[in-house]
Amino acid sequence: MIRIACPFCGLRDETEFAYRGDATVSRPPADAPIEDFHDYVYRRANPRGWHVEWWHHAGGCRQFLKVVRHTMTHAVHSVGLASSTQVVPPE
Amino acid sequence: MSVVDPVSPLGNTLVPGRHGAAGDGAVRIAERRCDLVQVFARKGRAGDVAAAMLARFGSDLPGPGHTFDAPAFSALWVQPDGWLLVAPRSPEGALAKSIKAACGDTASVVEQTHGRSVIALSGGRAAWVLGKLSSLDLHGREFGPGRAAVSPVAGLSCVVHHRDAAPSYDLIVFATFARWFVTSLTHAAEETGYIVE
Ligand SMILES: [Zn+2]
Repeated sequence: MIRIACPFCGLRDETEFAYRGDATVSRPPADAPIEDFHDYVYRRANPRGWHVEWWHHAGGCRQFLKVVRHTMTHAVHSVGLASSTQVVPPE
Repeated sequence: MSVVDPVSPLGNTLVPGRHGAAGDGAVRIAERRCDLVQVFARKGRAGDVAAAMLARFGSDLPGPGHTFDAPAFSALWVQPDGWLLVAPRSPEGALAKSIKAACGDTASVVEQTHGRSVIALSGGRAAWVLGKLSSLDLHGREFGPGRAAVSPVAGLSCVVHHRDAAPSYDLIVFATFARWFVTSLTHAAEETGYIVE
């Protein structure tokens, strides 16, 4: 069980959240080539280590959060608002 | 104006009397018939909403995890710039209308009286019973009178309002799930026993 410290609600169980994927990708400009959109939609790095992810606090305050989670240990390093920039620690 | 909601969404789910285990640890379970109004500030207008609510109703709009008891209602924080107001029953729609009149276009005001049910759970072992259905930390260092949390209870989206030190909790769930919810709650209270008035 992961526990995520929501900036609004405090420490809550993973079951209250919905995982919403990789928070490091950003949408290409509208005139970018189709290959860029392909990569934006489908290609993911799948790292072993720290990863910045979207988690939606669906069972609580309903905010989208940026969570830095370790994909091997499930340790949660930091949690911030959707608009925040999360610093990824060295391995 | 018409009488509000003469039929409870609970039907006959709560049977008056003493149920479950014997002993002196029984909790009390009841439906509280309340007016419910949801107030969500529109983008960038939270300050205006707060000013309007203070001027018209003498109510602070509390921050995350907290509640405020104004003369006319209790305001419960439910999400950033969003509150649920809980008040005794009044003529249909009157509270929502007065809130909307005060807030104007600074907030979306939605009548929830028929949309949600308020289930009151109280007594010395109320936290113990609630703890079976919730992963919230109900210990006094984390939660207490004047606090509220939005968190699943019995797997259902719920607003938990710790009203007083009895302790008394208001558990606010969608009305269409109220029977199922109360059935879970009464099952959880079999061990302590429970009283329905
Ligand atoms: Zn939250």
